[in-house]
Amino acid sequence: MLSTVAVLAWNTVRELVRSKLLYNLFLFAALLIASSMFVAQLTIGQWDRIILDQGLAAIEVVGALVAVLIGVNLIAGEIERKTIFSTLAKPVSRGAFVAGRYLGLLAVLAVNVAVMLALLAVVLHLAGYGLSRTALEAGLLIGVELALMASVATLFSSFSTPILAAGFSIAFFLIGHLLGDLRAFGDRSKSGLARSLTNFFYRLLPDLELLNLKSLAASQLPVDPRFVLRSAAYGLAYAAVLLVLATLIFRRRDLK
Amino acid sequence: MARSRSLLTPALLLGLAAAIAALRLSAVAVQPLRPELQLDIPAFPIEVAKPFSFGLSSLVSDLTFLEAIQVNGARKTSVSLAAGKQDDRVLSRLLQYSVDLDPKFRGAYRFTAAALPRHTTDGYAANVFTTEQILRTGIRERPDDWQIAFQLGFIESFYLGKMREAGDAMARAAKLEGAPRFLGLLATRLHADAGDLFTAEQMASEMEEQATEDAARETWHERILDLRVERALRQIEAAAAQYKARTGTPPRDLEVLVAAHDLPALPHEPRGGRYLLQPDGEARSTATARLRIRGRMGTQSGLIAQ
Repeated sequence: MLSTVAVLAWNTVRELVRSKLLYNLFLFAALLIASSMFVAQLTIGQWDRIILDQGLAAIEVVGALVAVLIGVNLIAGEIERKTIFSTLAKPVSRGAFVAGRYLGLLAVLAVNVAVMLALLAVVLHLAGYGLSRTALEAGLLIGVELALMASVATLFSSFSTPILAAGFSIAFFLIGHLLGDLRAFGDRSKSGLARSLTNFFYRLLPDLELLNLKSLAASQLPVDPRFVLRSAAYGLAYAAVLLVLATLIFRRRDLK
Repeated sequence: MARSRSLLTPALLLGLAAAIAALRLSAVAVQPLRPELQLDIPAFPIEVAKPFSFGLSSLVSDLTFLEAIQVNGARKTSVSLAAGKQDDRVLSRLLQYSVDLDPKFRGAYRFTAAALPRHTTDGYAANVFTTEQILRTGIRERPDDWQIAFQLGFIESFYLGKMREAGDAMARAAKLEGAPRFLGLLATRLHADAGDLFTAEQMASEMEEQATEDAARETWHERILDLRVERALRQIEAAAAQYKARTGTPPRDLEVLVAAHDLPALPHEPRGGRYLLQPDGEARSTATARLRIRGRMGTQSGLIAQ
């Protein structure tokens, strides 16, 4: 089972490495990070803040696009192209297929984040700054956020078409960053039903703001390591639950 | 005939082009302002912009800050209050927006203190209250930055004449890492000027105890002596005022005050000098100058804060 998952993951990595969309998005992120040095010259002092803000935002947004746009095609795209049948004709369980595809995408996303952080460190170095510990922790939590987004995309693509799955996943990303305001809206509401509903969705949906350290990194403020560990564990646990759900749904899905 | 016909088409086109241009100009002259052009700067209220930046509020704050720098660069500062009102408003809003989106943005607070207050040509100090309010948020959100507290102290003492609050801000700045030594002395001077000698002495004693160098300890000891002199001078002045209120004439010297029991005893001058009472009722020491912030009464700059 494990070796099957590993082979599927490796094949996914090899397939993604040939993806033009991936390279285009990487190039876009790299350009955004590199150009931050020129944008920083428009400000007065604190160049590192502009570079970090623009750089970390580029890593997050482009990473989320990779996770969603490529993630939804890993299962739903294979079903649409009917290429999934040749894989499932072999002794490969549907659970192993989902896990292998997801882990392959995760590996590509991890390399993406690492390369972009290295590029950001180079740009900061050229501007006379270093990559702070908080910036590294922000990068780590962006990685966790992307793992979560990849699992969201996998879940939706296990029962939907690629376009719908991409739409749902992007909505998830946006709502995930709005949960604090959703709760505040509920707290201010006079309706008991509205309060209950907002509270329910606040608890159900992933709180992506827990994985957002960008502004603290840009302001060079230290973060409690316990927060980083607990937030990362929260994100990964949430991703694991979504992956299990995706597997359960995909097992029952009629592929004909 | 054929030649005049060949000229007719270009002439007609030229005439039409001229008519189009004239019609356009006449329409523009009476064109109503489109709703989208009446939007404020920034276009969205902060309550909308904050959630809808989807976790990128720090980046949006940077962009607003960059816009504020551009606005400040193009703004004319040596104009009247009314003439610069629009630029002042735009700059205030952009800077307020930046710190609302990212309350930890220390660069925006420092820039606000440096760029927002403006001396107008008609004797006003514009944007002072907005600056004070933004800097108050700054010291709450960035208690680690001595420059924000220092700038607040400056705004409150120089423009607003709030010496006690300015002293508190300077004292806060003085205790932070990287703050220059003179800030603590300035804080005690501001407190002394405001009459809050207890806070000033408390701070000076604390700083003397914490000083690691002999020179610093000596400086703080000197300041404690100055504060004791100030306390004695205020006691003398109060006694002189009491004497004058009772007798209708100002006291000739300190001995008169002691004899009339308005002053229990001649206070000790810790620097070895003597206390003198001037005809206007103000007391002074022969050994040291009083702890005062020099300038006009009220707003120290003589400008009217807006």
